[in-house]
Amino acid sequence: MTIDTSHDHQPLASLTAETGGKTRRIAVHVVMIVLSVLSIFPIYWMIVTSLRPENEIFSTAMWPANPTLDNYVFVLTRIPMLQMLFNTTVVAATTAGLQVVTGLFAAYALVRWKMRLSGVIHGLIALSWLVPFQVTMIPNYVLASKLGLLDTLTGLILPNASHAFAVLLLYHAMRSFPTEILEAARIDGAKSWKILWQIVAPNMGAPIASLSIIAFISAWNEYFWPLLLSRKPENSVVQIGLQMFMTQEGNLWGPLMAAAALASLPILIIYLVLQRHVIESFMKSGIR
Amino acid sequence: MLRRTILKLMATLAATSLLPFGAFAEMPKTVDKPVTITFYNYNLASAGAGSEATKELIANFEKKNPNVKVETIAVPSNEIINRVQADVVAGKQPDVAQLTFRDLIFIASDLGGNALEDMVSPAELKEHLTGIFPKGLELGKVDGKTYGLAYTFSTPILYYNADLFKAAGLDPNNPPKTWADVAIAGKAIKEKTSKNGFFPGAYGPTDGTFVYQSIVMSNGGKVREGDKLTFADKNAAEAVKTMRDMVQSGAHAKIDPASASDTFSAGNMGMFLYTTALLSSVKKSAAGKFDLRLAPMPSFGEKPTAPTNSGSALFVFSKDPAKQRASYELLKYLTSPDAYTIITSKIGYLPLRLDIVDDPNQLGPWAKENPMFRSNLEQLNRLTPNMAFPGPNYRQVEKMMMDSVREAVFGSGDPIATLKTAQEQAQDLMP
Repeated sequence: MTIDTSHDHQPLASLTAETGGKTRRIAVHVVMIVLSVLSIFPIYWMIVTSLRPENEIFSTAMWPANPTLDNYVFVLTRIPMLQMLFNTTVVAATTAGLQVVTGLFAAYALVRWKMRLSGVIHGLIALSWLVPFQVTMIPNYVLASKLGLLDTLTGLILPNASHAFAVLLLYHAMRSFPTEILEAARIDGAKSWKILWQIVAPNMGAPIASLSIIAFISAWNEYFWPLLLSRKPENSVVQIGLQMFMTQEGNLWGPLMAAAALASLPILIIYLVLQRHVIESFMKSGIR
Repeated sequence: MLRRTILKLMATLAATSLLPFGAFAEMPKTVDKPVTITFYNYNLASAGAGSEATKELIANFEKKNPNVKVETIAVPSNEIINRVQADVVAGKQPDVAQLTFRDLIFIASDLGGNALEDMVSPAELKEHLTGIFPKGLELGKVDGKTYGLAYTFSTPILYYNADLFKAAGLDPNNPPKTWADVAIAGKAIKEKTSKNGFFPGAYGPTDGTFVYQSIVMSNGGKVREGDKLTFADKNAAEAVKTMRDMVQSGAHAKIDPASASDTFSAGNMGMFLYTTALLSSVKKSAAGKFDLRLAPMPSFGEKPTAPTNSGSALFVFSKDPAKQRASYELLKYLTSPDAYTIITSKIGYLPLRLDIVDDPNQLGPWAKENPMFRSNLEQLNRLTPNMAFPGPNYRQVEKMMMDSVREAVFGSGDPIATLKTAQEQAQDLMP
């Protein structure tokens, strides 16, 4: 008599596989939990430090013995923080919007019309991306001064209204757009303006969303240009506001952390609401 | 050809002889019509005590001078010289600027700063400068002329943690007086408490050179003599070697230079040599945590210390005579007894006028409440001007010097050879 053990072997193998899978899942989860804690801890520490009184700033306790909102009061009364947050929102949103529009125009022109110098123009746009902003900062400043744009939000927006990155991102996205549709629209009598806004742009939601998010975050974090252009704190942006807590008379860590918490709130909200889009934007376009 | 040259020369001489002071047209005696002047200020670019005090000073000035409107331009201290330069290039002539001493020669020779002797009549200038201690006036001079009037400035002082002194078996009532004492105390603190012994605020990215120069000059060294660099010469190099020896013995901490003040404020360091501008901030951090005390900067044996100055001076750039008058009035107010009472008591800088310290209507009551401040005042009779570097590459020269000092103090090679190599290389960048 032979004993058929195949039935016994099958569940054992599947059990082993299941255990192995479970172990792997646990290991992956442990790694992810550790990475999440490492990512979240600086934000937690920023908030905890913002709640510490002055003589507890250098304490390493996980929670302040006497939590206080004094640092937030200090931030809101000592510098025009709310005005700066408003200015930064206006500058970041307008810059992102303008980069999308100018990027679309340039990308459409490069994709739609094959000119003799298209390659050269494309190359020049790509090369301009490599020029550090610090190189053009002083000529831009002199020009902004002559145009009467010093200490204005327009002055902060204009130099960043178009960007090589925006043009290249949209150019590559637009190149994969089916030319048959464009030809069909043209045969139906649609002009370029109509084709761009009614056919191309509505079908490029993903790259436009990616660009908007990246341009917004990049403009939100801009420091050097506002540092040069702004003459008064109330006409400046939040990154300059943060710098104001690092003084010749010592760093004001509590207020600095409170201001940083306030400054990072809008970006955190964007992450929470558009989490998937933000991650995809960075994945597709490379870290910027 | 020769005739034309002589005529040109005569015309130039005639034109300059019509002007009362050098190449300057005479300023009006008062500000009769409304004038707006710009004031580039770095205290206003902060949210600390300096900003509040500056706003108070400007409000007081405008109240006293209703015809003068001061348009403030707030720029952080490490960027302010670039902003003034950018505005000069952009044709937006600055009027008054608070700038650091390291840029002094550049301001006088390249940036178009006005010498007060060229702008103001000798009698009027003498009247205002009376009461200012003479060594303080020397700080802003280039080739004998006053380009900068010392404004917010201080000298290095030894902050020490009396609790760590006690824990290390040292007497906190007898703080180190010489560098040999610092080496002993620093080593004891390191060995008995495991905390850091000593660190000077001399090597960080925003520390400038005033603490380093104070140490060097206290040993009879200098960073330059005329256009010749001397920071690797005997006395200057020996001063740096003293720091290196302390690093090797463990008395001098090996920490990130940018974090030195925070390490001390957190109670993790025994002694910290830095400007009193930090006093108010350190006091707040130390409150209820450790016993904070101050002592004069240490000396090399019996040699008297030569503390040099941190901080800023006020410079006038106005070209228009009416604006020059308004700018000078602002300068006068900001260096007046009233202004120094505010600057010293509310920010923590030293008063340029020592007669106000015990005046019951000026700093008297504040000085009684803050006896710790006396250590810094006592050093003022040995105040030695900070040496700025000449020529268009002055910042690069300064950077090469400080890089070599960091390497000499913390590196593994021969400290004197390190300084010598840097000095030879940097000499090529001097005029």
